[in-house]
Order: sequence, then structure tokens, then C-alpha cells
Amino acid sequence: MSLLDILMIAIRVAFSAFVPLCFIAVCVWMERRGAGFIQDRSGPNRANIFGFRAAGLVQNLADAAKLIFKEDIISAHIKHKFFFVLAPIIVFFTAVVSFGVVPFADTLVINGKSYIMQGIPIDIGILWFLALAGFSVYGIILAGWSSTNKYGILGGLRSAAQVISYEIPMGLAIVSLLIVYGTVNLNEIARFQGELLFGFIPMWGAILQPLALVIFVVAAFAETNRTPFDLAEGESEIVAGFHVEYSAMKFAVFFMGEYVALFVSSAMIVTLFFGGYQIPFLATKTLITIAKPLAFVLMIGLPVGMYYFAGWIRRSNISHYPRENDPRAFEAKWYIRCFWGLIVIVELLLLAILLCQSGGDTINIFVALLQVCTFLVKVTMMLFVYIWVRWTLPRFRYDQLQKLGWQMLLPLALLNIFITSAVVVALS
Amino acid sequence: MFSEGLFYAFSVLAVLGALGLVLFRHPMRGAMSLVVTMISLAGLYSLLSAKLIFVLQLIVYAGAIMSLIIFIIMFLNIQDNDLPVEEKRFAYTAGGIVVLIPVVYFLIKIAGTIPGVEATIVGSGFGGIKEVGLVLFQDWLLPFEIVSLLLLVTLVGAVVLAGKRRVGK
Repeated sequence: MSLLDILMIAIRVAFSAFVPLCFIAVCVWMERRGAGFIQDRSGPNRANIFGFRAAGLVQNLADAAKLIFKEDIISAHIKHKFFFVLAPIIVFFTAVVSFGVVPFADTLVINGKSYIMQGIPIDIGILWFLALAGFSVYGIILAGWSSTNKYGILGGLRSAAQVISYEIPMGLAIVSLLIVYGTVNLNEIARFQGELLFGFIPMWGAILQPLALVIFVVAAFAETNRTPFDLAEGESEIVAGFHVEYSAMKFAVFFMGEYVALFVSSAMIVTLFFGGYQIPFLATKTLITIAKPLAFVLMIGLPVGMYYFAGWIRRSNISHYPRENDPRAFEAKWYIRCFWGLIVIVELLLLAILLCQSGGDTINIFVALLQVCTFLVKVTMMLFVYIWVRWTLPRFRYDQLQKLGWQMLLPLALLNIFITSAVVVALS
Repeated sequence: MFSEGLFYAFSVLAVLGALGLVLFRHPMRGAMSLVVTMISLAGLYSLLSAKLIFVLQLIVYAGAIMSLIIFIIMFLNIQDNDLPVEEKRFAYTAGGIVVLIPVVYFLIKIAGTIPGVEATIVGSGFGGIKEVGLVLFQDWLLPFEIVSLLLLVTLVGAVVLAGKRRVGK
């Protein structure tokens, strides 16, 4: 193993471990600001460091400090303390590890050697995700059971029954997808979606398998215990469900595990149905050939976009009443400076790419970086869909939830398998 | 060797999990130690490069079946005073060990007679989903279909039995 091999392994493992963790902060911020936006209010905008509020991101730091320094209580009535402590760890760990099989860029070729761009180098992809989604149930069941609290038990029961029953339509939706793609390897699935249907439509899963998309997204909402399926937490009925007895960092670990699961299931939806890391109409090979013109376009486009973005910051980040030496305007000035500094760095990197020889390793790395950015942008858009649904739809009743799972989604998924296999057999 | 270390770790965990299943008093602890055994067995399969069986073990045994068992244990809400008093527990355990000694001796003897063939590397496709699928649907189609029929009969039987009791009430 050369130094480069070790470096590439470190990069891919670090990416798949730390990006979900960083996205916890992004998710929480998006959730709060999104809730504010949908309910026509501002959301968190007071917490600050020396007057800098970073559009509400500082609120996350305040929350983290609060949760870390809170007293960590284990009530005396809890007999199985080991399981009580183990439960949040299981939820968090399974969520982080299940991101390991998601590819965030196409296989990167450096010095004629190809490096796979996913955390765990196994080719069973989607099956690994299913296995770990099943494991996260243990965390919820153990939390609800070991709390020795009727609300906790009710929440645990609801959640476990829900996750177990929605795993079936999800698995069947995946079966019909696998019939189309012919592989379980997520990298090959993403590559398949880079091709074009009839020469002008990207062959995304969403276009080839619209019914499977609907079933999978509904099941994924249920698996992550998000509204409209958040009966496990149902504040108005069972207080907080399975994590009612948890405080301080143990609660925070549940909370973070939930957001990591959200990120992973968005990443999974993007990889299976929206082309993964592929830029629409630009498969990896095309991207390598047009890398230089693309870098040139980006060099011109980024400052233009930044100019308008700076104008938007200056217009929206002001006090709503006249103040002397408006601190908000001062804040906005510094934000704009930081962003321009970032743009200058990116411009220099793009210039380096324009000056290097074509067809080299630099171009490959540039393409991989572009794909990583595309992947993250797509996942962020999917995360917004989750937040959008949460603040738009009311909660299901429990019997409605089970009816939807068993009487609607399951027959639809079976029908989809029959139709898909008939079409695939007829076409081959 | 790295894989040898993994083999020992998984084997020890599997045996410890099985021991825990027998020796723990509370059913939840027993079930959780069985989960440890199941996961360690999956690890052993993956060391034998049986990728498909590895992941099926994780999904079906460690995931689905064990979570149903734990779900039911949670549902029954077993307290310590619901459990039977087992006074002669250790006497029975000791008796069981004595009875098992000849069997274990026999097994160790068998394991000793296995020729020490050096590990050979199987083809890169071995144990993959495609390879297993081809073998299953070409060479073993009839047994496969018979087993799936058996599973279907069991499924229908379970539904019928569960439905009958509710009508009786």
C-alpha cells in the first residue's frame, strides 16, 4: 500500500463518517428556519457570538452547550440500566454506519489506479442499508422498554410495529428497482442513471419507476419516524414516546441519530431515484472531456452569482427600524467579505485546473469534487422535502397508518413488481 | 493474520452470546445475547466470503426475527416475580456439562482429523448475489420451489390459526 492508497482510504472513511455528523447541524438549522418560513415567522435569530448570528446557526451551538452541561439523570426506577444506556448508542451508531455504502462520487482514477468513493468497500449496497434499518428498531424497543414508563412503552411499541410493517413495502419497492437496474451495488446503480433514455431524458429511477419512488419515499418517512408518521413521539398523546425518560446527552444522541437517519434516507432516495452523484445529462466520461470549459463557465458564473447573493444579504440583514450604526448592517458587511474570500479561493483553484494539462489526474479530482457537490446539493434538496412535509401535513391516526402500509402500499408494491418484470422480460 | 484475529473474535462472541442466552435469567437479556450470536455468525459467514448469506443473516435473523421476538418480550411485560424459581439451576447446568463431555470429546476428535489444507482463494465472484442466484435457479430449482411452497403453507396456516381464535372469542 502506497501513501496515496492510505490517504484515499482515510478520505473516504472520514467523508462517510463526518459528513452525516456535519449535516446534523444543517438539518436542525433547516428544520427551524423551514418551520419559521412555513409558519410565517422568523425562527431562531437571537443567539449570537459578538453580534454574529450566522442566520440562526449559532442557536445550534447554544443548544449543544445546554445539552452537554445538563444533569444526566437515570431515574431510580429504571432497573435495566445497561439497556437504557445502550439504546441511544444503537440508534446513533446504526444510522451513521448505514451511510457507509452510499457512493458520493464515481470511482476516482489516480495514476491509473481506481479508488472507490464510499465508506465501506462492499458491493451489497442496498441490502446493507436494509439490514441496518432493521437494527435501529432495537434501539427504539430497548429505550421504550427499559424506561419502565407507560408512555415510553407505548412509544416503543408503536414505533417498532410501524418500522417492521413499513420495511415490507420498502423492500418490495427495492425489488422492482433491482429488476430494472440488475444490480444491488449502489455505485453501479448511480452509473446506470447517468445514461440517457431516448437520447435526451436522464435514466433516473424517478422516471423509470415512479410508483416505486412513491412507495419508497412514504416507507422512508415511516422508517425515520418523521411526520406524518411520528406516532412514536406524538407529543400531544404520549408526551415524547420512547425517549421520555432520557435527558442531557442521552437525549441528544437520540436526537442526532434521528437527524443522521434523515440524512441517510435522503441520500438513499437520491442515489436510488435521482441519479446519485450524477449531474443530469453529464455522465462521468462526458464530464471529464468538458472539464475545462466547465471550469471556465464556473469561473465566470460564481462571481456573478455571488454579486446577487451579496446584494440579497445586504438587503435582508438589516434592522427593521432606524438605528444608529446598525449592527445588522455591520454583520452583513462581514458575511459578504467572508463569502467573497471563499469565492476568491475557489476561483484560484479553478484557475489551477484551467492551467493544468488536460486528461490528467487533476481533471479527475475536479470531476470527483463536482460530483460530491452535486450529491450534497441533491441530498439537501431532499432534506428540505422532509422538512416541508413535516410542517405541512398533520399526523396519521395509528389504524390509518397500518392500513396505509398493509392495504395500500403492499399491494401496490406487488403490482409494481409484476408490471416491471413483465416489461423487462418483454424488452429483453 | 488479521482475518484469523477476526475469526477468533467472532467465534468467542458467538459462544458468549449462546452462553448468555442459556444463563441469563431475564428473557430480554437472553434475547439480546442471542442477537450478539446472530451478528457474530454473520461475521463468520463474511470471513468465508459468502456475501449474500452474510447480509441475509443480518436482515432475516439478526434483524427481522430477533426484533419480533424482542417486540413480543416487551409486549408481555415480564417482571422478575413472573419468572419461575429455579433452585437447582446450577446442579442442572453441571449435569448438562457432564453429559455433553463425551459429545464434545467426539467433536474435537473429528475436528482433529480434518486434513489441514492450506486456505485456497476462491474465485472473486464466489458467494455473490448473481452466482448464488444462478446456482439456485438452474441447478436447485425444484428443491427451491418446494421449500417456498412449504413456507407459503406455513404462512397461510399461521394466518388461519390467528384468525380462528379471534372468531372464537
